[in-house]
Amino acid sequence: MKNPKLPPAARALCAGVLLAVGHADGKLVIEAGRIVTQAGPDIENGRIVIENGRITALGKADEVEKPWDAVVLGGPKTVAFPGFIEAHTSQGMDRANENIDVAPFLDIRDSIDPVAYYFEDCLRYGITTVNVQQGANCVVGGRGMIVRPVGMTVEELTVRPLYGLKLSARPKNGKSRATQMQALRYAFDDLKHYLEDLVEKERDERGYAKREALFQGRDLEEEKAQGRAMGGTAWKVDGLDLIPRGALDEKFAPLLDLVEGRYAAFIHCADPLDVAHALEIARANGFLARTTLVIEEDCWKAADLIAEAGVPVVLEGALVDVRRDPVTGEEQETFVPGVLHDKGVRFALSSESPSTRAPAFQAALAIGRGLERAAALDAVTKVPAEILGLGAEVGTLEVGKLGNVALFNGDPLSVTSWVEHVVIEGKPVYDRSKDVRNKQLLEGVQPANTAPPSKVDAPDPEHADEAGKEGAQDEKKEDEKKEEKEEKKEEGGGKGGGR
Amino acid sequence: MNAMLLPLSLGVVCVLSPWLAAQEEDDWTISADMVYTAAGAPIEDGVVRVQDGKITAVGKGGGGSLEVAAITPGLIDLGVEIDTGLYSVEQSRESAASLSVADALDLFSFQWKRELTSGVTTVLAVPADYDVVGGLGVVLKTGGPATLEARLVRADAVLRGALGTQPSSGNNAPRFGDPANFYYRRPTTRMGVEWVFRKAFYDTIQGEGVTEPAIAADHDVLRRVLAGELTLSVAARATQDVRTAIYLKEEFKIPHMIIDDAVEAWREPELLVRSGASVVLPPFPADGRVDDGFVNDSYFVPLEAARMLHDLKVTFALSGHGSREVGTRLSDQAGLAQRGGLAFEDALAAVTLTPARMVGVDQRVGSLEVGKDADLVLWNGKPFEPTARVVGVLLNGRLVLDPRPASR
Repeated sequence: MKNPKLPPAARALCAGVLLAVGHADGKLVIEAGRIVTQAGPDIENGRIVIENGRITALGKADEVEKPWDAVVLGGPKTVAFPGFIEAHTSQGMDRANENIDVAPFLDIRDSIDPVAYYFEDCLRYGITTVNVQQGANCVVGGRGMIVRPVGMTVEELTVRPLYGLKLSARPKNGKSRATQMQALRYAFDDLKHYLEDLVEKERDERGYAKREALFQGRDLEEEKAQGRAMGGTAWKVDGLDLIPRGALDEKFAPLLDLVEGRYAAFIHCADPLDVAHALEIARANGFLARTTLVIEEDCWKAADLIAEAGVPVVLEGALVDVRRDPVTGEEQETFVPGVLHDKGVRFALSSESPSTRAPAFQAALAIGRGLERAAALDAVTKVPAEILGLGAEVGTLEVGKLGNVALFNGDPLSVTSWVEHVVIEGKPVYDRSKDVRNKQLLEGVQPANTAPPSKVDAPDPEHADEAGKEGAQDEKKEDEKKEEKEEKKEEGGGKGGGR
Repeated sequence: MNAMLLPLSLGVVCVLSPWLAAQEEDDWTISADMVYTAAGAPIEDGVVRVQDGKITAVGKGGGGSLEVAAITPGLIDLGVEIDTGLYSVEQSRESAASLSVADALDLFSFQWKRELTSGVTTVLAVPADYDVVGGLGVVLKTGGPATLEARLVRADAVLRGALGTQPSSGNNAPRFGDPANFYYRRPTTRMGVEWVFRKAFYDTIQGEGVTEPAIAADHDVLRRVLAGELTLSVAARATQDVRTAIYLKEEFKIPHMIIDDAVEAWREPELLVRSGASVVLPPFPADGRVDDGFVNDSYFVPLEAARMLHDLKVTFALSGHGSREVGTRLSDQAGLAQRGGLAFEDALAAVTLTPARMVGVDQRVGSLEVGKDADLVLWNGKPFEPTARVVGVLLNGRLVLDPRPASR
């Protein structure tokens, strides 16, 4: 449904984007004592109207008309904040890593677990957009995707399928740095040789590639049936226009997209020397302009290199690099976002940081350490949105953008504030008062009907005395513990694989 | 004093500069938007005067030589875990009450500075928990000359004991056919640990084996615990260990007990209240779970644990376990306790005056009161909020972390 209030530019955007707006019916009004729009000054006593998933009006409460049939959320104590954006994570998957070194033919969607505890946590922290990529234990990983952390199927979660390719400059388990670099170079050499062979064969015996593709049952319709000269800025294979794109081996196709500059790359860097390696590979193969570095805290030492290359980074490590000086033995603390900011590096903060997963907490810690408030807030909203190419869709609260809002019960940066509601594309998807697991985390009480039945519910007549009761309670606690342990195992598995 | 010093210093700076430097280092007037004394209501636009290592004035006013957003007393951590690991505890005996961790502390460790610059000025150091009765703990400052005399606040402040899985970790029951080694010994279970604990006290009461000097010395220490002259600090994490600690307290009528690292103490509210034991909470983990680390088990502590203990009127302190990670240190724990519903003033008390009282050093530290040690933490915002941090620290009146260059 088109909205007459939408400015023409925004309407054009809506038509153009790939975003699949899944659930869009109805109207929602958010009343807030304060709206942090991230697109201008904060609005006191504001009102947001969301229709069909998008913000259609936003401003002072007395200036914005409230549709009579809208659902209303919030109140005078509510602070509305743009939904946080996770520019990179390797959580929410069944297993985060593929064993094969170079696996760009794989698709993360087959691995995403919609009911993973991680996605639940995202809502708890007000995260509304997540870029899920393979873990860092790879050379070239599978293709990732951008999701919204709500839904029971991958389809419901999907915001943008087939987005981004994960590469790692940090050695994969069992590799040295030299073999890792060799494997990275070979991945692209292999691609080049494959394409050259294909063109040569095509010239020698016309239609070879096409015949083979058809033999293997690969579709060659429409644009896939067309050949196209190789794009990109780095290296080229002449005569690629002879080969229909659908005839290319799927094993190599995503890498070719990368070299042609049509795909985004996320390169993991654990140490400062990895940064140079990552940039070398990106430069040599022409995808530097679409590269984001995913860095650990130690990489601040390579901030000059990053600034010179002009690539954005996602800080996945701790905000403060705590390290002992090898000469003096003194412990040094380096505030990483401060260094990045001073060097002019565009950076997003990540909830993967070990201290806590909440982006609001990360931003607050960064402000406490001296980062400007605007830079810290941008690092969890606008910058990650831009990194993901969703700058026109999410990251700020503006008319025309998606209705992704986190509603806090106080200053979002205060340790005592909680996310009370989360709205994704106009749909209320989280209500803290109904969050049983959060209740357990807070009060330690296993909520009713979430534990396996215990003897407390059905008392054994023989043990109805005091001692029996106590025993039964103990057993219940044992059950709880077992459950906790199992959860732990699952989570541990996911996390362990992520690094 | 400062106003008088200033013209004087201009005149005779060449002659008296070394003397003046010493004076300047020890005399400070610090004003702040908020002074949280931990001994009464906070003072808006307050000032704290410091001379010769002691606090000489606390009150309303401004115009100090240092100006910051907030001042709190130096923080106190009873669970800092700043020992030398296995080398701080005697493992040839399961009960070594008369040994003191003071003899095994590494005062040159880089960790002291980490604590000091993150606002922790006083800590309780105890032996690592590889023994059932590990020995005596000391309260000391985290900075100053690296000698025990210079840093000591209270010698023999507590006797340390431990329950649960750690004291028996690494021990094996002797097996037939294997060569004997050091680790073939008991206890190997939780109940074995409890047995050693109980035996230590029974032997003391019975006067068992006192002909051996080391054992007689142990008995002297344990007797002081039984008489209430010495506090017993017991590490107990799981619910069952907390229960064991309380049962031991009641069985031997031990007057003063601190249950340290008490992850699941909140599960036993009635026992806690009945026993009168005080509690040191562990740092709050992000997902509420604390791994045992020695057996495949984990324990659960909810964010509201501090608030629950407060409502029960159980004396409790928070601890930081000497964390390296920024965002999880002692000051951050006071923030998380507030997230769990504890009021600001109570969170402040749980990292200052309450721990000072628990180990009997509140005459010297724990609050901003005239006559107490000049241990101050200077903040650039509301203390314990993530948007604020420790920008300055005074220890015994000396400025050990200067807020001026860092305050930006």
